[in-house]
Amino acid sequence: MVNESAKKVRKKLLLFIFLGWVLLIIGDRLDELRVYQGAQIAMYTIALASIVLLTGYSGQVSLGNGAMMAVGGYAAALTLNNLQTPIWSAFMMAILVAALFGAFLGLAAARLSGPYLAGTTLALAVGLPAIANQFSFLGGEPGLLFDVGFPPERFGEEFTQYKWYFWIATFIALVSLFITSNILQSRFGRTWKAIRGNSLAAELSGIHSSQMKILAFTVSSGLAGLAGAVLAMTISLVAPGAYTLALSFALVTGAVLAGISSLPGVVLGGFILVAIPEIADALAASLGNQDKLNSYLPGLFVSVLLILSVIYTPNGPGENLRKHFHKKSAH
Amino acid sequence: MIRKTRRRRTWFAAAVLAAGSLLATTLPAHAETGVTTNSIKLGITLPLTGAASPGYNKIGNAMDAYFKYVNDNGGVYGRKIQLIQKDDQYSPQLSIAKTNELILKDKVFALVGPLGTANFTAVHKSVGLQRRGIPSLFLNTGFSGFANKKSYPTSFTILPSYAMEAKIVAQFLKENFAGKKLGLVYQNDEFGIDALGAFTAAGVKFDVSIPYTSGTQSAATAQTWVSQLAAGSAQVVVFFGVTSATAPLLAVAAGAKYAPQWILGSVGSDPLTLQALGVPVAVLNGALTPAGNPSPNDLTDEYVKQFQEINTKYNKAAFDDYVLQGMNLGLMTVQALRAAGPSLTRRGLIRAMEAKGSTFASVAYSPLGYSRTSNVGHTGYYMAVMGPTGDRKPFGGTVMLYTTDSGNGPVVKSNFKRPAMPAKGLPNNS
Repeated sequence: MVNESAKKVRKKLLLFIFLGWVLLIIGDRLDELRVYQGAQIAMYTIALASIVLLTGYSGQVSLGNGAMMAVGGYAAALTLNNLQTPIWSAFMMAILVAALFGAFLGLAAARLSGPYLAGTTLALAVGLPAIANQFSFLGGEPGLLFDVGFPPERFGEEFTQYKWYFWIATFIALVSLFITSNILQSRFGRTWKAIRGNSLAAELSGIHSSQMKILAFTVSSGLAGLAGAVLAMTISLVAPGAYTLALSFALVTGAVLAGISSLPGVVLGGFILVAIPEIADALAASLGNQDKLNSYLPGLFVSVLLILSVIYTPNGPGENLRKHFHKKSAH
Repeated sequence: MIRKTRRRRTWFAAAVLAAGSLLATTLPAHAETGVTTNSIKLGITLPLTGAASPGYNKIGNAMDAYFKYVNDNGGVYGRKIQLIQKDDQYSPQLSIAKTNELILKDKVFALVGPLGTANFTAVHKSVGLQRRGIPSLFLNTGFSGFANKKSYPTSFTILPSYAMEAKIVAQFLKENFAGKKLGLVYQNDEFGIDALGAFTAAGVKFDVSIPYTSGTQSAATAQTWVSQLAAGSAQVVVFFGVTSATAPLLAVAAGAKYAPQWILGSVGSDPLTLQALGVPVAVLNGALTPAGNPSPNDLTDEYVKQFQEINTKYNKAAFDDYVLQGMNLGLMTVQALRAAGPSLTRRGLIRAMEAKGSTFASVAYSPLGYSRTSNVGHTGYYMAVMGPTGDRKPFGGTVMLYTTDSGNGPVVKSNFKRPAMPAKGLPNNS
């Protein structure tokens, strides 16, 4: 049995390495804009994984992921700028600080559920990024620079900055998805699912439900923090304007569309979130390119998609597709 | 036989290589990004919507109108200018995203008039303008940090820096308001802090000093500013912020019957925009402001007259300081493109700015500082006083131009005569 699961993990590891290799080759073939968008997809993938873990598995609804990302972004920037440590340590610090913050929040969250928890985390998403305006060491509205540096010279002249971001973001996304998927398939994942299904029944079978909820919050926040640091890398900046309420909502939409409890779905979610502004731009252009239209269409898209998805496919279209295929293969 | 084939292959390869390299040297240089035989693509990021947009949202259209006028009169060496405007809502993060679109998707040749200090700082770093060698002409910000040619070798400023402005206002305060109680309201990013540093260096002490964060300006916050200023009984109040913050400040002060001598920074003192934002016109009467350009209503000025004509035909916007500024940005851009010559490259444009930029015609009264070692545009201001209709006239009747630098240089009164407006507003420089 132990051998069996070890084999599974090894198989998955090989799959992820293969996936990384494919992405590397794809990254070489695309133009710079697409490569940059690739880095953004990787960033969204990590952020969506944190929502899947929290909401899809442990059943806690959080609208405050943008705030957790902000915590991670600022932690990474402060580490890199003040301690001049290598990049990877800045990313580690982002996970650590955001996870600690999440654990703290989890203490409160474990006592709340449903709309109350959503409300609390929503308040966090509104308020937390604005705190940067109150303390000068956080850089106010213009924010702090977050500079991971130029790509190593041995990659050559042709190796652009954005390809470097793409490599880093993709590597981080693959590693974190691999770890997350293992956590979700472990005892913890099953326990969280049990709590989501029926918290009373879970407690009766010996699960310490509030502890496990706090743990879910901690792990999910760590992931969100990491996504926040990757976001900061792609724009070389941490600023309140980067972690808006709109980002939190976009993430929830992405997670719902991708299927809230499906980890592979997060890649689809990432694609959708990057595609929305592109589609909105194209639509605005065809409607006569008015400034107001350009600015507000992406937000409108996100809201409409979320509402439609909740009405017609409560578990997300991704989930429906998966079920459809499962049924087919069962026949 | 085998040996023969091999040798033949080697010869063939050598011949192809030789012919190829010969071709490569005789072929015309590869076309520059954003430039074709009949077009030049330029890009700008600025707030078209959002809290900071009133006023600034007119600049892009004014530039575009001027470019259309030039295009209808033959373009620049036969090339028509296409301007792509992107709305960044004054948010640095959006500026980065939009500039990325301009450079990677629209593939513009250069940026012209990108607006905002924090915005351009972030863009320059994130997008890597310097490493890509992308010319960024006429940054619409007065942050003196951009005057560092080593850090910003492909960028050129146009406005006198906030530091210059503060030094000139400091000199003016000393000459005209010695012994009065002074107040200051400023935006607490590079924009206002630049000015604050210059005031401190000039030895001006403010009795009341109020920083505010960009984006927080509203009637409610203006209420707290006014009560602090009134409590400190400030008699002269200097304001360094954007127009969308000037408006609530003046409106609330008028409501509270608090009427100090206002000195409004050049960035936030456009009368039409102030009026549009609900400031009673009477409040502006007597307010002082450092100004670089003539009044947009001064039809005796050859630049203003020409730009108004172009505006009437191509833009149809109410002609104010922003439209004037946008038109002038267009005029300067066309001169820069002409100076770079018919075979337009990014490097050529930067070299032309360095070599000939200081001779360009511009509506502002002060000299341009461009050179091989300086990327600084205009270097001075005159003090103007606003009338009851929001129009402005030179303080003391005639334009008294002060020039200075962003460092420790003195503030001097200057007799500089600006170049004449090119005939019909169409540059023919080379």
